[in-house]
Amino acid sequence: MMSNQSFNRIVIVGGGTAGWLTAGLLAAEHCAPSGKRSLPSMEIILIESPDISTIGVGEGTWPSMRSTLKKIGISETEFITACDASFKQGTLFQNWKNGFDDSYTHPFTVPRGYAETNLAMQWQPFRDKVSFAEAVSAQNRLMFENLAPKQISTPEYAFNVNYGYHLNAAKFAQLLTEHCTKKLGVTHLMANVVAVSSKDNGDIASLVTDAQGDVHGDLFIDCSGTRALLLGGHFDIPFCSKKQFLFNDSALASQVAYRHGSDPIASSTISCAQPHGWVWDIGLPSRRGVGHVYSSAHATDDQVADSLHSYIAATAGEEIAKSTSFRKVSFNPGHRAKFWHKNCVAIGMSAGFIEPLEASALVLVELSAAMIAEQFPTNRKVMDAVAKRFNDKFLYRWSKIIEFLKLHYVLSQRSDSDYWRDNVDTNTIPSGLTDLLELWRWQSPWHRDTTHVDEMFPSASYQYVLYGMGFVTQAHTTYRKSDTEFSRHAEALFSENAKQTQQLVSTMPSNRELIDKIHIHGLQSI
Amino acid sequence: MTDYKVLNKDLHSDLRVITAREKRYGDNVMHAMTFPIEFRDIQSCYPIFFCKDTESGSFYPTALFGLEQNENLFLTDDGWDATYIPMSVRRHPFLIGFQADDQQPDGRRPVVSVDMDNPRVNTSDGESLFLADGTPSNYLTDIIGLLESIHAGHEHNKEFVQALVDNDLLEAFTLEVTLKDGSKNQLTGFYTIKEPKLYELDGNTLEALNKQGFLQAIFMAVASHARLRPLVEKKSAVAESS
Repeated sequence: MMSNQSFNRIVIVGGGTAGWLTAGLLAAEHCAPSGKRSLPSMEIILIESPDISTIGVGEGTWPSMRSTLKKIGISETEFITACDASFKQGTLFQNWKNGFDDSYTHPFTVPRGYAETNLAMQWQPFRDKVSFAEAVSAQNRLMFENLAPKQISTPEYAFNVNYGYHLNAAKFAQLLTEHCTKKLGVTHLMANVVAVSSKDNGDIASLVTDAQGDVHGDLFIDCSGTRALLLGGHFDIPFCSKKQFLFNDSALASQVAYRHGSDPIASSTISCAQPHGWVWDIGLPSRRGVGHVYSSAHATDDQVADSLHSYIAATAGEEIAKSTSFRKVSFNPGHRAKFWHKNCVAIGMSAGFIEPLEASALVLVELSAAMIAEQFPTNRKVMDAVAKRFNDKFLYRWSKIIEFLKLHYVLSQRSDSDYWRDNVDTNTIPSGLTDLLELWRWQSPWHRDTTHVDEMFPSASYQYVLYGMGFVTQAHTTYRKSDTEFSRHAEALFSENAKQTQQLVSTMPSNRELIDKIHIHGLQSI
Repeated sequence: MTDYKVLNKDLHSDLRVITAREKRYGDNVMHAMTFPIEFRDIQSCYPIFFCKDTESGSFYPTALFGLEQNENLFLTDDGWDATYIPMSVRRHPFLIGFQADDQQPDGRRPVVSVDMDNPRVNTSDGESLFLADGTPSNYLTDIIGLLESIHAGHEHNKEFVQALVDNDLLEAFTLEVTLKDGSKNQLTGFYTIKEPKLYELDGNTLEALNKQGFLQAIFMAVASHARLRPLVEKKSAVAESS
């Protein structure tokens, strides 16, 4: 196929969540039945290996998943019932600060009045009386009390407070497969890619498969997981390890049964710090997904298995802990030196993977696929420009993810192991983060602390983690007009927030109650 | 609170029910559930909208009596000033329930319950439930008929709103009412027939809706909007006199 011919065929390699989410987002924008369009439709082909089981990255999403699902055309009721999904309102951190039963939240809702008023400095004088998140966001209390972010009468995808999901990744991939093939016209091929045939300019011309012959395409999307079949295997784009900043390279994962069918479903991801890493605890309606992330350089598998066992025993009882088995996952934290090369772009674990703190895996898939859907190159000539833009944007995003995740560790006062002591070693802190921490000692993060319009972590996220972890920003020593304005608004905002908290706590159903109702009655679309 | 007891001619032989329409008997309601079988009467008096059941989130049609919580603009010193009072209002203080019964074709038997805590229920005033010989009074016979109609109406409503949802015929709306004195009221949480969509329905869909008995109900709900203006006028009059 010549490069100036029609540009209309996308081939996706990989049938995991990344592959199908990408297929769904691209098809929703670029494909339509012949009766509903005046121009030719894009053709989207997904090749799935029948021999490789998917890893199922991430059981936690960001609020962005709501608009992603809406865009793809899946009803929220169908999603919740088919994927064993529940509502997630943010992360609840335990024992990160000093390890003595401390906790704080990073809710999905930004502080009250955030667009006009920075409440951080107004809250600081009261820091011993009320936590930052409690003072500025009604969501904090809902998270601690396992309450839902909406009611049964709230329409699909609408909310009382912002939310994402916890989900069963395998079931999610299955739902997406059904939807993409039956409703969006994606072609699903079961085959192994055995070779790549190239064009003169180095582009991929086609993929040679064992069961489906040669599959030609104009753009090839590598969603093949950590193997990175095309970007790594074929193009040999180097992998950049980030282990020097974020040590975790292993995890023990398990599925934990509830004691009773009526046990509460947590409405946040619980992240509980341990001597050699941290435990994630994700509540689905039918079970919990619990695992321990750690650094293999700092702890043995047995030490970690003991910690994980203790956590499960403490939260579900010794009997359930005894019958829970662990599965080990190893990963190399980092990402490719670039993600889009020639006519091939990597999305998902083929692009990179870093520990699941703050659940950035699925949102990166959504952001990557959304950008490709929006900026899809009309012809080969413009592809290089789009590729450069894509690479710049995602390299920046990865650097910000690394900084933001590292922030959680450097603020900790824990010193109960080499793991925590090494984490505050200045040599392990990205220089960008060191600079920001110095800056934030003198001024609180706000809108100017993020430079992109579509920043992954808004400045509010930095506030929640900094002040949740006990960070102190010095008060200004000279007059600022904005300080007096903020302080004038603060009292009203704090009291409005307290009022809203009270009102939500008394009207929101529990996470479980709402999920049960949705399984019976469904949510209305309006 | 309510305290429903299954009606029993031996235990409840001297019970009476006050049928007067007054605030102290709980008639100061803003709206009440209605059913397509009574839409013809309802639409001549009240606007028909839809709202969501707080327990299930499902829609049901409702007749509007006021523009804010606990306001019934039809309630006067002389009672309920309208030619028709909705079935779901008239049913109080009774409720229809079911008891398992193998003798019945569907394995259950309807039973009438009465709310002993309802202020209408007493032993001196109002309509008797039973005659001296223990047989039901005409009043109770009427109530039983009413409860049976309501039960059938509930089932019919489920199918009705499902047909509306399936055909994308409902939409949320906010009504901004400006009274004569300039004060503003905002009505939220209600849904109405999405008229542009209604007029786009193809022949097959219209035929199906008609066969199910829903088409007439849809147009009656649309026609009932004409009752909104008199309601706002009533509200203005109340605002002026107070």
